[in-house]
Amino acid sequence: MKKLSLIVFCFAVGLAVLLTGAEAGAAKTIKVGIVDCYSGPASTYTNDVRDAFKLAVDDINAKGGVLGRKIEFVTRDSKFKVDIGLSAAKELVMREKVDILMGTINSSLALAISNLAKKEKIPFLVTFSKSAKITGAKGHRYVFSITENSALAGKAGAAGLAKKPYKKYWIAGDDYEYGHAIADGVWNNLKKMKPEVKLLGQSWWKVGEPDFTPYITAILAAKPDAVIVATGGRDCVPFLKAAKATGFNERVPFYMHTATELSTLKPLGLNAPEGVIGTSNYFFYYPKTKENQVFVKQFRAAYNRYPAVGAVYGFMAADFIKKAYEKAGKINTEKFIDALEGMTVDTPVGKVTMRAYDHQAMLPMFMGTTKKAEGYDFLIATDIVTIPGKDVMPSVAEIKKARGK
Amino acid sequence: MEFASNITIAALFQQILVGLSRTTILFIVASGLSLVLGVLRIPNVAHGSLYMIGAFLAYTIATLFGGGSSGFWIALFLAPIGVAIISFIIERGLFCHLYEREHLMLLLFTFAFTLVFGDLVKLVWGSDYRSLAAPVFLQGSFSIFDLPFPRYNLFLLIIGPMVAFGLWFLTNKTKIGKIARAAAVDREMVGAVGINVSWVFAAVFVIGCFLAGLGGALVAPTQNITQGMDHSIIIEAFLIVIIGGLGNIWGALLGALIFGLTDSIGILVWPQFAIVFPYIAVVTVLILCPKGLLKSTW
Repeated sequence: MKKLSLIVFCFAVGLAVLLTGAEAGAAKTIKVGIVDCYSGPASTYTNDVRDAFKLAVDDINAKGGVLGRKIEFVTRDSKFKVDIGLSAAKELVMREKVDILMGTINSSLALAISNLAKKEKIPFLVTFSKSAKITGAKGHRYVFSITENSALAGKAGAAGLAKKPYKKYWIAGDDYEYGHAIADGVWNNLKKMKPEVKLLGQSWWKVGEPDFTPYITAILAAKPDAVIVATGGRDCVPFLKAAKATGFNERVPFYMHTATELSTLKPLGLNAPEGVIGTSNYFFYYPKTKENQVFVKQFRAAYNRYPAVGAVYGFMAADFIKKAYEKAGKINTEKFIDALEGMTVDTPVGKVTMRAYDHQAMLPMFMGTTKKAEGYDFLIATDIVTIPGKDVMPSVAEIKKARGK
Repeated sequence: MEFASNITIAALFQQILVGLSRTTILFIVASGLSLVLGVLRIPNVAHGSLYMIGAFLAYTIATLFGGGSSGFWIALFLAPIGVAIISFIIERGLFCHLYEREHLMLLLFTFAFTLVFGDLVKLVWGSDYRSLAAPVFLQGSFSIFDLPFPRYNLFLLIIGPMVAFGLWFLTNKTKIGKIARAAAVDREMVGAVGINVSWVFAAVFVIGCFLAGLGGALVAPTQNITQGMDHSIIIEAFLIVIIGGLGNIWGALLGALIFGLTDSIGILVWPQFAIVFPYIAVVTVLILCPKGLLKSTW
């Protein structure tokens, strides 16, 4: 019995030392914990978020930090799995005592961490998940989204397509939440804007579908005027490849949300199909503002590659954190959130405001068409139309309705 | 939703052709898996990883040689050989000590390899997507009844029967093929007549993995070369091998045909739920003949 109590005592002392140690460390810095998928195909997107965030944080720290404190960050690999990511987030909260959580590219995981953030009262900045539920139906005080989502992309895509003369549509996409959310978003908005459109049929494939040729040939046999392709991530590349091989883009125009993004077009080089309509939050060559040029130059100097869309999210996250703490005047979570609500920051894509009601960053969307361009060994987006953030945001009334209020 | 109204004879014919070209890749990968399963009795889960490495090697080699048409042909030749060399090292270094172990051990061991290979690929090639262009004269498509058929798929339709013939020749007409078939039936007896079974196994393993590499190199121009491409192919390859009959190469051909064609025709007939067609076919086959369609060597 004595022995046991001795062990318990030693354990308690050890634990206390460990915890106070961590406490002392946390007091000097602002600690950000990032949980994201750094292994597997998704890492091509998430690396840009992390690298740009690091670039911005290094810059802030070199200039003396925020309120005299340096920003420090740690990363955890979620391996695209909800359970692994959630326990990593818990570990960051309990052991690392982070002030802010950031991540992830997996929507299910983002919703799970959002739930944790609500319980633990820790701000969570969502950097890449495209689920509209994050700041919509499942939104709360502690979650912020600094990326576009399927509702915004759907509305932007519909706004662009409504201007075109197409009437008979076919919908095709990834058979999981992202694909259906994008497709529903585009289609429902398009029907509202242009009631005469007609849906000929739909094809749904599994995520990671190796060969899109049979899908494309079947769609072509139905002879639609245009096709809405709701595929994302790594499936974009093989889809565009199959589109090029079958001459899909020359026969029937198609819209694909992320078709114009650098991560999609760069691997294809000059073999990407031309004339594909796509939307994105960012291009390193557009907008041609000084802020963007400076950002691209810094990013290229540090990492020797062009920044893709994720880089803007990472950069913006650091800026929001810095400005919100400065506005709050002290390191306090509730004050930080109050400060962040409605805050506007300068970004490479212009001024971006964090809407106070639903904590959704109002990012502009750029719709463009793929084309070969001089000076690049890959296709870029041309004829870019900017759709301002306020035009694609769901109204506060819609968010209220989604949240059941 | 109504059933697709677009089913015409032309569309069906074209869909079958597209399905057959997919069958080619599935057959090449599954036959390699089946060969290793039949002779060595190793359920090689890492087969998909070798397929992925084949695709990445093809990309790197083609890029090294300038990325043009000649680069592609050199890559198509060298990438499977590269995979064969890797598999030879693994076989001689590790697998040859494990043949007497039970299947579960081998399964876990090869599964461990998929994880190791997955991380190795990430270390060597990074996480960016890669893409390999087909040679110029295989790019684009031509029209069949006014519907496009990619030229590269036609190339696959030519390669498929060539590989099948090569495998038939190897297993039926060459000495090593005959010994391998004998060793599959009775390993000890083959050893007893003075044949070094261990080296026969090494050769068969290398040939099987060569086929995985060939599949990867062939699929590279139609696909996104990325981490994760190993997972989907290995599941499909195992299903094909199981419905065809374990270890039977012609079973792999039959299985690949069933899988590839139900997939592409399903997409035409009922595009919303096309994903399930190949799996329904697999379940049906397994209910009717639980041991696979053709005679298993197990």
